[in-house]
Amino acid sequence: MSATVSQSIEPQTGATAARNSSFREAVGIFFEDRALLLALAVIILLLGLAVLGPVFWAKDPTSVDAGSALEPPSAEHLMGTDGAGRDVFARFYAGARISLTVGAIVVTLGAIIGGLIGMIAGTSGGWLDNLLMRLMDAILAFPPLILAMAVTIGLGVGIRTAAIGIIITSVPWYARLIRSEVIRVRSLPFIEAAVAIGASRARIIGRHVIPHVISTLLVQAAASFGYAILTLAALGFVGLGAQIPTPEWGAMITEGLAHAITGRWWVGVFPGLGVLMAVTAANIVADRARALLDPRGALADL
Amino acid sequence: MVRVIVNKVTSSIATIFGASVVAFVLLRVLPGDPARLIAGSLASDEAIAGVRRQLGLDQPLHVQYIRYITDFFTGDWGFSFSSGVPVKEILGSRFPATAELALYAFLFAFLSALVLALLATYREWPVVDGVVRALSSFGLGTPPFWFAILALIVFFEQFGLLPGPSGRLSSATTPPPLLTGFYTIDALVAGQFDILGEAIKHLILPVVSLGLVPFAFLVRLLRANLLEISSEPFIVVVRSKGIGRWLTHVRHALPNAFLPTLTASGLILAELLTGSVLVERIFTWPGVGALVVDSIKRQDFAVVQTFILLSASLYILVNLVVDILYGVIDPRTRIPTTEAR
Repeated sequence: MSATVSQSIEPQTGATAARNSSFREAVGIFFEDRALLLALAVIILLLGLAVLGPVFWAKDPTSVDAGSALEPPSAEHLMGTDGAGRDVFARFYAGARISLTVGAIVVTLGAIIGGLIGMIAGTSGGWLDNLLMRLMDAILAFPPLILAMAVTIGLGVGIRTAAIGIIITSVPWYARLIRSEVIRVRSLPFIEAAVAIGASRARIIGRHVIPHVISTLLVQAAASFGYAILTLAALGFVGLGAQIPTPEWGAMITEGLAHAITGRWWVGVFPGLGVLMAVTAANIVADRARALLDPRGALADL
Repeated sequence: MVRVIVNKVTSSIATIFGASVVAFVLLRVLPGDPARLIAGSLASDEAIAGVRRQLGLDQPLHVQYIRYITDFFTGDWGFSFSSGVPVKEILGSRFPATAELALYAFLFAFLSALVLALLATYREWPVVDGVVRALSSFGLGTPPFWFAILALIVFFEQFGLLPGPSGRLSSATTPPPLLTGFYTIDALVAGQFDILGEAIKHLILPVVSLGLVPFAFLVRLLRANLLEISSEPFIVVVRSKGIGRWLTHVRHALPNAFLPTLTASGLILAELLTGSVLVERIFTWPGVGALVVDSIKRQDFAVVQTFILLSASLYILVNLVVDILYGVIDPRTRIPTTEAR
């Protein structure tokens, strides 16, 4: 894997030939990479379940039926039922919807806010740069989950505040990355040339700096997606995120804890499997994106 | 060198200050009204005003902040809202259990990562490498609390090989005489080998559950570093001197690949801290992490607040020590820092 990637990056003679062959190679790498294909398949499967789940599986994820509590998986209940007789499969795809939605929102807002902060700090320099970066350092001084816990305690427990907590912990990653990229790009000759021909500051940022840093931002966003899903589940598990009747994977695992050692494994195992699948798939995609988009290939081996 | 250290220490102090402001804003300024939380939802307005005065919440914010921060650094962490016991006392009594668990989890993560990374990069056997990489991505994608439940289902509920979630020892066993608070060490010193065996059995599942994420992280880092070092010219030199492949790998590649992992110590600590919050309660392990989760459930935020600020301080401190140590161990990293000043 790493060998093929670094090969495709090596300089070749003739600009168009290089572009064509590296594009073809990239396509080749894409289809040869079974892990990546599997990861994409998993993401599509989860997305499909999240969107189409209610269409072909008519059970309600929150309706209680005491008469059929803790039934093992069967044709009637694909993943069994939980302690209140709720259908675990219905809760599983509802959980996929919650996790993927929150993950997408967290990553989008985190990338926009963090990217803006990094852009402002990197282009302005001086005291503003200093102030913003000290603030980012202060946020990074906490282990991420623990800061997210503090945010949900401060703002009130719930899925929305949990998402805010996750955004706050992820903003410094984008900000620092984008700031250092902006500073690097700023010193390149073509920016100097743009200044020399009289381009305005806004035009330089919009036309020359942003296109250069956007791929870095996207790679970091992909890497943060898995983090967001995992942290949301962790907050749900400790009781600071979604609360129990909500079909959120982390909260469902909490519920499964009580039944795990009495043989009712299905209550907690399936939601955890959902987290594992979503996070691992997202991580694999992020790794490949980094290897392909990072021309220096510093992290290509990871 | 001294100047570099002084610079690093001052910037760490600035970071601790920033972190304490963040924590103060989140935990003291934002929550609706801690006084109402303490006095209860049915308390009269006068009672609440009394509690506010007692907590100093009627003071201006900067006065509150100064009091908050001096209280924290002088170890005056207040009382648990639910039990009335000083937070310091509760945390102190819970600490050894967490420390023992974290220590073994770290050893497990570190040693298994070392061995597996060496095997994965030695001769670059594709199957071994594939398995190691799969294990690593499994570890990074698994919620540790879910893994803990899974481990209990398999090893306790299905096969009965290991004890269930009964804490550090079975309820019938009296702990070994208190010396370090680490049951394994205390039992060994007292010569109580049956208790030692029991303590080890109780440790296995929590240790693996807590060590899984740090393991996955370390193995990934070590593997990448080893691959990078193995292709450097000095390895070819060592090989051409006639030193065997394995010896070259272990003696010459490993120490160089190992050094950068030192910078990950802060991250490992963070994983162990947050992991203890996620894993301990599942095994009813009587440690700090389980205490934090229970306190969240009881809305006993004095305990949780202290834990949050303590973890941040510890995290900053470890990062600072690693930063300084790294300069001492690897002289190459000193030069750019001094030049930058």
